[in-house]
Formats: sequence, C-alpha cells, structure tokens
Amino acid sequence: MPILLRGEWYDLRDLANPVRELIDGLGLVSEVDYVLWSLIASLAILTWLVLSVLAFIWIERRVVARMQNRKGPNRVGPAGLLQPVADALKLLLKEAITTRGADRLLFWLGPVIIFIPTIVVFAVVPFGESMVLADLNVGVLFMIAVAGIMTPAVFLAGWSSNNKYAMLAAMRTIAMLISYEIIQVLALLAAVIFIGSMNLQTIVSWQDEYNTWLIFIMPLALVAYLVAGAVEINRSPMDISEAESELAAGYHTEYGGIKFGFFYQAEYLAGFAIAASATTLFFGGWTLWGLEEWIPGWLIFLGKLYAVFFVYIWSRGTLPRLRIDQLMTFAWKFMLPLMILNVLLVAAEVVIWEETGASRNVALPAIGAVNAALAAVLVIGWARFLGHGSGRGRGYSATLTREVGKIYYTGAEAS
Amino acid sequence: MTIKSEPFVVNVGPQHPSTHGVFRLRLTLDGEKIIDADMVMGYLHRSMEKLAEERTYTQNIPFTDRTDYVASMTGNLAYVMAVEKLMGIEVPERAQFLRTIMAELQRIASHSMALGIFANDCGAWQTPVMHMFRDREKILDLFEMACGARLTLNYMRIGGVSRDIPDEWIPQAQKLMEDLPKRFAEYEDLLLHNEIIVARARGVGVLTPEQAMAHSVSGPMLRGSGVAWDVRKADPYAAYDKIDFDIAVGTNGDVYDRFVVRLAEMRQSLHIIEQALEVMPGGPVHERLGTATVQPGGQSIAPLAFRPPVGEAYARIESPRGELGYYIVSDGGPSPFRFHIRAPSFINLTPLKLMAIGATVADAIVILGSVDFVVGEVDR
Amino acid sequence: MEDTGTVVAFWIFAAITVGAAIGVAAVRNLIHSVALLIVTFAGLAGLYITLSADFIAVVQVLIYIGAIAILIIFAIVLTPRAGRHNQESFMLLPALALAALVAGTMIFVAFDTNWGAQRSEGFEGTATAIGDLLLDRYALPFEIASVLLLSAIVGAILLVRPEGPEEEAE
Repeated sequence: MPILLRGEWYDLRDLANPVRELIDGLGLVSEVDYVLWSLIASLAILTWLVLSVLAFIWIERRVVARMQNRKGPNRVGPAGLLQPVADALKLLLKEAITTRGADRLLFWLGPVIIFIPTIVVFAVVPFGESMVLADLNVGVLFMIAVAGIMTPAVFLAGWSSNNKYAMLAAMRTIAMLISYEIIQVLALLAAVIFIGSMNLQTIVSWQDEYNTWLIFIMPLALVAYLVAGAVEINRSPMDISEAESELAAGYHTEYGGIKFGFFYQAEYLAGFAIAASATTLFFGGWTLWGLEEWIPGWLIFLGKLYAVFFVYIWSRGTLPRLRIDQLMTFAWKFMLPLMILNVLLVAAEVVIWEETGASRNVALPAIGAVNAALAAVLVIGWARFLGHGSGRGRGYSATLTREVGKIYYTGAEAS
Repeated sequence: MTIKSEPFVVNVGPQHPSTHGVFRLRLTLDGEKIIDADMVMGYLHRSMEKLAEERTYTQNIPFTDRTDYVASMTGNLAYVMAVEKLMGIEVPERAQFLRTIMAELQRIASHSMALGIFANDCGAWQTPVMHMFRDREKILDLFEMACGARLTLNYMRIGGVSRDIPDEWIPQAQKLMEDLPKRFAEYEDLLLHNEIIVARARGVGVLTPEQAMAHSVSGPMLRGSGVAWDVRKADPYAAYDKIDFDIAVGTNGDVYDRFVVRLAEMRQSLHIIEQALEVMPGGPVHERLGTATVQPGGQSIAPLAFRPPVGEAYARIESPRGELGYYIVSDGGPSPFRFHIRAPSFINLTPLKLMAIGATVADAIVILGSVDFVVGEVDR
Repeated sequence: MEDTGTVVAFWIFAAITVGAAIGVAAVRNLIHSVALLIVTFAGLAGLYITLSADFIAVVQVLIYIGAIAILIIFAIVLTPRAGRHNQESFMLLPALALAALVAGTMIFVAFDTNWGAQRSEGFEGTATAIGDLLLDRYALPFEIASVLLLSAIVGAILLVRPEGPEEEAE
C-alpha cells in the first residue's frame, strides 16, 4: 500500500514532502539541509500546537458551557472565537508576581521546564506518512520518558512557590504521576509486545497492514492509558493536583500572568500528547482503512487526535473528583494487577499466534474477542473482589417517617 | 520504627473557593490527615443584632433577608412569627398558606444550591451547580412575581405577607411542580448513584445522633444522623398542621446521608406545595394591626412603627438549614430591646472539628459542603 | 566519533554533565542540588545518544529523571531534620574515600579497555538486542537484580509499617 508521494510538491496528502522537495532543490550541504528541514518542521509543529491550544480553549469553554446550560464565551469576536486571544493577551500583560520567600530561580524555571517536555514529545509523533520530525526506534519509550520530566518540574514549581497549598499539591501530584506512569508504561508495553516495535511509524503501518486498530485488540490497555493520561493532564475525575475546591489552584497557585499561562498551555499540550500517542497506538494513526489515499493523512490524524481529546473535555464537564487515597488505591490495587495480567495475556497470545501460525484473519478477531471478553470479566470481577458493587447498588435514599423524635441511626457505615 | 512527620498548618480561607464566603478553617495536618481543625469566624460580622435594637420592628424585616441570604423567605418568616407572638396577632388563613408555600419553595431553592455546591466540592466542576441553578432560577422567578425581588425578598410582614400573589402565579407554580420531579429523578440518577460521589461521601464526616444532639445540631444535619426531628412536625407553624408530609431521615450520619436527606426533603417540599396550592383558601393576606398600636399616618398595611406590649417571644421554624429561631424582647418601645437569632448555620458548624479530625483535606472540604452553612447567618 | 556533529554534541553534553555534577556538590540549597542532579542525568542521556545507545538514553531519562530524582526529592522533603541545606557532614572523609575509589576504578577501566573504533552510521535499534541479552544470556543476573529490588521493597514496607496490629497505614 505505501505509495511514496514524492515528486508532486502540490500533493497535500503529505505536507512534509513538498517542503523536503523544496529544500532538496536548494542543493545545500547535507548538514545544513538537515538543520533547515528540522527547523521548518519544528516551527510547523509549534504553530500547529499554539493554534490548536487556542482553538481548544474556546472549544472546551463552549462545550462545557453547553453541558452546563450556559452559553460560554460569546462576546469577543464572532461567537467568542477571539476569547482565547484576549485571554492570552491579558496573561501577557499582567504583572509578574513572585511570592515573598519564593526561590526566585526555580520559581521562574518551573513553568519553563514543564513546558519543554510537552512540546518535545511531538517530535516523534507521526502526523502523516513521512511527516515525523524524528523517526526514533524507541518512539513509544521516548514519549513516556519525556512526559516523565514533568514530574520533577511540578515539584520544583510547587516547592519554589513557598506556599503550603502549592507544596501539598505538588507532593500529591508527584505521588500520583509516578503511580500512573507505571500504569501508562504497562498499557503501552502490551501494545509494543503485540506489534513488536517501539517505532511509532512502524506501529501505524502495522495497524494499516493488518487492517485493524489496536483498540479492537486490547481495549483494556487503551482505557488504562486514557485514565493514566487523565491523571497526567489533571482532568477530572483525576484532577487532584489542582483540585480547585480543595487546594486553590494546586501546585501553580502562586503563579500569575504568563507564567500561569505556561502551565495552562502545558496542560493542554500534554493533553494533546496523550491524545496523539493514543491515536497513534490504538486508533491507527494517520491511516483510515484506505481513505488516506483520498484524504490527507495528517487531517485524519488530527481528526482522531481531537476526538480523543474531546473525551477529556467531556469527562471534565461531567465527573466529580476522587480523593487522593482513592486514586492511589485505584492505581495500585485495581489498575496495576489488571495491567500486569494484560501484559502477560498479550505476550501469551503473541506466542500462541506464532506457534500455531494461524492466518491473521483468524488470529486477530480471535485475539480481539478473547481480550474484550477477558477485559470485561477482569474489570467487573476484580472490582467485585475489591468490594465494589455494581455502581448503582451502593447508593440509597433517605428513610421517610412521621414519628417525631425517633432515632433511625444504625451507624452501619461508621468507620 | 515509624516515620514521623511534622504537623503542617493549612489555612482554608478566608479567601478560598470552598468556604462559601469569608470563613476560615485552620487545619493542622499530619500528611494528608487532619489532626486539628479550628474555625475562625467573624469576617462577615455586621452587628445585626445590635443594629436591630435601633430600628423599628418593621424596619428589621430586611435584616432578616440578609442573615441567611440564600433563604431569605424563611428568615423573614421566623422573625415576623416572633413579633406576631409578642403582639398576639392572628394571621389570616390565606397568608398562612402563602407563607408555607413560599417557605417550601425557598427550601427547594436553597437545597438545590446546597446540593449543587456540595457536588462542586466533590469536584464535579460546575456542572451540577449550573443544573441546580436552573431550578433555582425558576423558583426565583416565582418569588419575583410575588414580591418583586429575587434574593432579598422582604415578603413577609408582621401580620401576613406584603401582598397577594398575582393570578398567573398559581399556573406557573403548578407547571414548575410538574417539571421538578423529573429534575429530581435526574439528580438522584446522576448524583445519588454516582460511584465517585458515593465513594467520596459514604462514611465521611460521621456524626452520631448523640453527638449531633449534644451540639444542638438541627435541620438536615440532625436528620442525616437519623434523628427524626423537624420543627414543622414537632411544633407546627403556618399551615403545616393542615398538610400531610414526611420527615426524611438518614441512617448513618455521614455526608452522604445529609445529601440524600436534602434530596428527599426537596421531594417532600414539592408534595407540601402541591397540597397547599390545592387547599389554599381565599381571603385577606394581611391582618390589620390593632389601631391602638398603629402610629399616626399608619395607612400602609404594615405600619412603620408600633409598640408591642412589654414581654418576650421566641419563634422557631424549620429553615432549610435547620431550626431558625428569633428571640425578641420588647420594653414597650417601637424597637426591640433585644434581638437575637438562633442561627442554624452557626450552630451546625460547631461539630465540624469532631467530624473533620481523622479525615483528609479533601474530606474536610466535602464535610464543610455538607454542613451547608451561609456565612451571612454564621456571622450575622 | 568522527563526524563533527557528534564531537560537538559530545563536548556540549560532557560540559553540561560535569558542570552540573560539580554544582550538585557545591550548592548549599539541597533542592537546587537535586535540580542540578536532574541536569546531570539529562546530560548523561545526551552522552548516551552520542554513543548511539538510544534505548539506554531514553531509559536514563525515564528512570533517573522521572523516578530516581523524585525519590531523592521525597527523601529530602520527608526527612524532618534534613535542614534543607547541604551541610557539613561527618561523613565527608568516608565519602571522599569512596569517591576516590570509584574514580580510580573508572580511570583504570577507561585505560584498560581497548576502545575499538565504533562505526557511527546512525542509530540501529538497540532495544531488541538488549532485551535478547537480558532474557537470554544474562537472565540470571537480571533475575537476581529483580529479587534484590523486591526484597528491598518488602524491607522498606516492613520498616515504615506502623507498629501495633490495629493501626493501618493510610
């Protein structure tokens, strides 16, 4: 299937090739050529990121407003479209305040450090057939590793603020990020084992070649990955680290102006990064069952990415927040065993597939069905084992009475 | 060997998104666990009780709007009832029913807000609040139709209510009564049975009936602890003795029970309003005050100044937050000699320390939300 | 290590790594020290990349920056009397001796090894090779390391477990 699109510079199916063609045409030394190409590509990705963030600030506010019977921003520009721009300008113009007793250097570095990994991740994301800035062999690992840099950055920001809320929230966030990083790694590990490569481009072409998406093969891994992602980008029900009603704004309570803007944007970028990796690994990346011949691959990719990101907006508009200890329990007692089982299961399936040499038309549906069924059984069974009801069972209504003065207290729940 | 950590003092408030006003909570933490909790009140103190001694009885009604500003109808009611008791005024039947209806509408509006904000404290970012406000708006519309104001209503008068409801009021109220059960079912579905809310609220902030009674707690908090106590039943006022309704009680005394009690009470309020709308008689809505006490120029139905006989009176009602009582001493002058409010918000906060110790910070916020206090009433 | 790019990158990363490492020992503020340690780790990851060891480099970032640094941060923040400062310590002499020993060993290895010139034709997937080696040739050391880590975890839990049967850790 892979058709090299080189040669037709106007072919928008792949934006990278015309650029590459143009640069090649300049006849430069290979080093300069390489640097120039990287610069242009980075700039393109950055531009896209900034525009996407601006767009999604508006979309999120409008969508959540819709969920809340409100109108959302509708004054600045047509339909409030310029609201994010106005917000950004406001943040830029605000006075930069540093708390008394703050560690000035680290306070200033915090937002910068947190911003870097969220952008760098996009270097390995395959936007289209040849649209990837750095086609690393360890792409999957790279994404996780780079996202891991956020953890110390969060601590530095929280600690340097010299604020108790920020400190408490930073410690919470770190504990949480580390716990869920393990879930994230295990979820992606299953995918990597199944495909046999950590190269994101190979993963996409594998899904294209085998005519399936990994979501159909390992739904549990996808769910775990998205949940862990929600922790990383502080989306409800996992938005503990900036639990607004508990700890003001969490670890960036003391940040104002554009420093706060950096955190805000970094959060969105991290969200896009999660959505991008989920798209690449579980939703077939820039392929769409042959449609990429007609629609530009990067459009397909972006469509999927935004769809995944929308799930986070949705959850933010609807779900309450878990308590920190419940969240940790969920990670260590619920998700971790399931994820380890999932990895073992997938590894076993790979071996069985190899040993039996079944054709892909038999093997893939079979594996998918087994995994989906097992995922359902495991999730429900494990939840029951840990003492969680069916979800509706634990709620109850009040008792109605007319006997004034009678005491109905049973204290069954008192711990 | 155990790892010891230093206690860590955190101020929640006075400017904090979860204190519902200017209220401060000093938490001493051991890690995430609360080992001590102190309440600091008084940021909103307006010296209402003293100010009221300088104003006439009628002029004091607007003050009662501004103590519990989320439920000003019930604030009005308790105060005018105390003055009526002092003066021995009989209130006309229709006014009694109007008072009942308004108080119950106010209860629904207030509980809606309490539940929405409680869900917000649980972390459901704004959505429940906005949905609850949808109902509250409808009720405020009804208030506006009846008295022209939406928040500080000033509707009750000594001897009745300020004016009769317009003709189109009852159909609109009945329409709302038809809509609300659907909404309540929705809240029960989305919040009561929400796994996360259940996980956050069950077994948190438990208050046993003994503790609750020892702290003189009242209202949904007391009923959440399983004590079937409701002033509307125990000491009926307005038209409650002519209406059929139940008291909702919980069984565990935790945050979740306060939550379910409020939801059930909203349904009961609906039931009360429906009945009251049906049986409400016609007639005057205001008793003219005896001529002996009306000052010259007392053309208005509520004279600006009158002098109740020397004596004292205490009237109590079941406000959305609990037992709201007004204690008034008259020295025979045109303004009260002593004016005291038994504010349920304030008294319900007293066992906060008891509930918070041993919980986590996140729990403390939820517990605070479940108390449903209004700082205007705490500080007065 | 022939082409200019790699050489330039090597010197940049080497300077960052060594400079930050000196800073770790020199600065007074412990948190700054940790921040510099993170820079050291990042510089090391860069050095691995110049050696075409992509897997090791990424793992360096993942494990050292994402986990080890956090562990150190937790250790500092949760220690009640750490004083938050790089203090004079009675452990200075033993630490120096240990450092000298390690440095001596490394210098010896550096001179002892036959640094056969490696070709540098870009990256080749090292992950598969490392995986094969770990689970095949070096399976026993790998497992021993796992058991060691497991026992360390169990030991740590045992140490911090609250005494008394009733008390349960939060």
